[in-house]
Amino acid sequence: MATIVTLRSTDGEHRVEIEGERVIVDGVATPLPRRAWAVARGDTRWVFLDGQVFELEVQHRGARRRSAQQGSLAAPMPATVVRVLAAPGQAVKGGDTLIVLEAMKMELPVRAAADGVVKSVSCRVGQLVQPGVPLVEMEA
Amino acid sequence: MKLRRVLVANRGEIAIRVFRACREAGIETVAVYSDADRDAPHTRAADQSVNIGPAAPAESYLKIEAILDAARVAGCDAVHPGYGFLSENAQFARACEESNIRFIGPPAETIEKMGSKIGARQLMEAAGVPVVPGRTPLDQTDEGVMDAVNTIGLPCLVKASAGGGGKGMRTLRRAGEAPEMIAAARREALAAFGDGTLYVERLVERPRHVEIQVFGDNYGNLVHLFERECSLQRRHQKVIEESPSVAVTPNVRAAMGAAAVQAAKAAGYRNAGTIEFLLEGSGDGARFYFLEMNTRLQVEHPVTEAVAGVDLVLAQLAVAAGEPLPWTQADLTQRGHAIECRVYAEDPAAGFLPQAGPLLLYREPSGPGIRVDAGVSEGGEIPVTYDPLLAKLTVTAETRARAIDRAIAALRDFPVLGIRTNIPFMIRLLDHPGVRSGEIHTGFIDEHLGGLTSATRVPAAAVAAAALVQTPRTGSATTGAQAALKGRTKTGEAALDGCAATDPWTSLNGWGR
Repeated sequence: MATIVTLRSTDGEHRVEIEGERVIVDGVATPLPRRAWAVARGDTRWVFLDGQVFELEVQHRGARRRSAQQGSLAAPMPATVVRVLAAPGQAVKGGDTLIVLEAMKMELPVRAAADGVVKSVSCRVGQLVQPGVPLVEMEA
Repeated sequence: MKLRRVLVANRGEIAIRVFRACREAGIETVAVYSDADRDAPHTRAADQSVNIGPAAPAESYLKIEAILDAARVAGCDAVHPGYGFLSENAQFARACEESNIRFIGPPAETIEKMGSKIGARQLMEAAGVPVVPGRTPLDQTDEGVMDAVNTIGLPCLVKASAGGGGKGMRTLRRAGEAPEMIAAARREALAAFGDGTLYVERLVERPRHVEIQVFGDNYGNLVHLFERECSLQRRHQKVIEESPSVAVTPNVRAAMGAAAVQAAKAAGYRNAGTIEFLLEGSGDGARFYFLEMNTRLQVEHPVTEAVAGVDLVLAQLAVAAGEPLPWTQADLTQRGHAIECRVYAEDPAAGFLPQAGPLLLYREPSGPGIRVDAGVSEGGEIPVTYDPLLAKLTVTAETRARAIDRAIAALRDFPVLGIRTNIPFMIRLLDHPGVRSGEIHTGFIDEHLGGLTSATRVPAAAVAAAALVQTPRTGSATTGAQAALKGRTKTGEAALDGCAATDPWTSLNGWGR
């Protein structure tokens, strides 16, 4: 019995059949690389092959892909809030800097994705914020 | 006076580098660490280690009193500051001296003199060393800085008067951008150096960054150890450095070396230092301008160690102990070609955003002419708080072309997984025809950014490898990798505390045929 694994990369979805030592990627029998490194963490697969790094996500049947929370802006990485430039009710233009974060001695501006009105701000100066946690909620 | 016990007031690879030299010299070592670095490699690399406070640099690695207390408690007779943090802080050097603890570096007055860009420039001009037009406005308000911008003219640089490394530096091309950029530069300067004083300087377009290593002792001996070309940089953060520079002819090298020695003498310099120059043009007609002096050991010092065949840190320890310089100018030669690649935890595809997180897999390359200085280890966590430099790869070969080939081959054999790094980016950069031919300048990376960061197709072999690594059934996926994964079950599943690692070369049946 072949094992089927579906993976998503930047190129889209890949169907991989594993049967013993045979690996078929998108219908093509694929020899395994002679020299590569791979690790798994959760559903993420990291592969280092000839100086290139690839990140793939294992796709689960029936599971809906997570979509970015609509209208909210989050930190791209763990960071400290150094300035809050947005206030609830404020009208902003796409590209306006709403929050300034600092991580690894670099300033990272969080900008509005589109024109809109700030609904709420859920961070304060000095706070350490985690990636994915909404900092500002926007409404169109 | 022989040094007995040295505290390194730093973290990461440079702390480990200094410990290594101390061990060779028969000197005991003391590490300091913040709460975030309790399990960091540098903390474990010394004979003893002392906690100096919370993760925030201002409360630990930048806190003079905490470091001096640690040095006293541990009974140290000297402190090595590394680079960054307090390495160019005259107050720290003075506080060490006043506590009867030797500061391994130049005298406090020299740091002070060269740390003020205005003072350094005046000194250099007086010593006959060419400088780029620039000034530190006495009036440091936005208006005062703006006046200086108008006097110097656009384009210009607005940067921290107190430090180097590109922290708090902005390129100003349009007057409209000035208010935001001045404010950002000041905040970054304040955060990085505790001093928000800004300096405004004319921008020399398409220059090379070429610096000269200098070294002095307590007996008036002062030598230079040739150049390092550091033109491959981004936002004034160096990425790849090499020696020799293709643009420096023997005549220009001799002139730059002499100017650097003259500059260091004018500053009353002792111990290791670097004079940074901007180089315009090439051949014997190239012109160079004094940029700044770094009164410390540089990140890229291994490049000089490789071509000059010296150990700069051992020499620092010797000079600090009151010994004369181990070499005269006539002893020093430049041989072969060396290239250093800085491996950063950053994502080139996302504007080089710094990355933090678990280092699931980290394997260093090795072989002839390959040196790795690292401050991390597999299974470690890269904190958000500090500089994203993970490791430095320095290769040495007979010629520049061979050194580039060797660097590329070594980077292809340097797997780092779990956080994104600039390794793939550096491979492309080194293989760029412009880099191969040596036609580089400080704007080179920005100019070619699109091609250097564009996405590549995912090869089927990578998808196959990804499909074969399995997440363990057990484990919380939070502890991270502790070690390389060897124990693999019959089903091809490999488990390790919440993450699985596979090296097909050694661990997957049929992969290493």
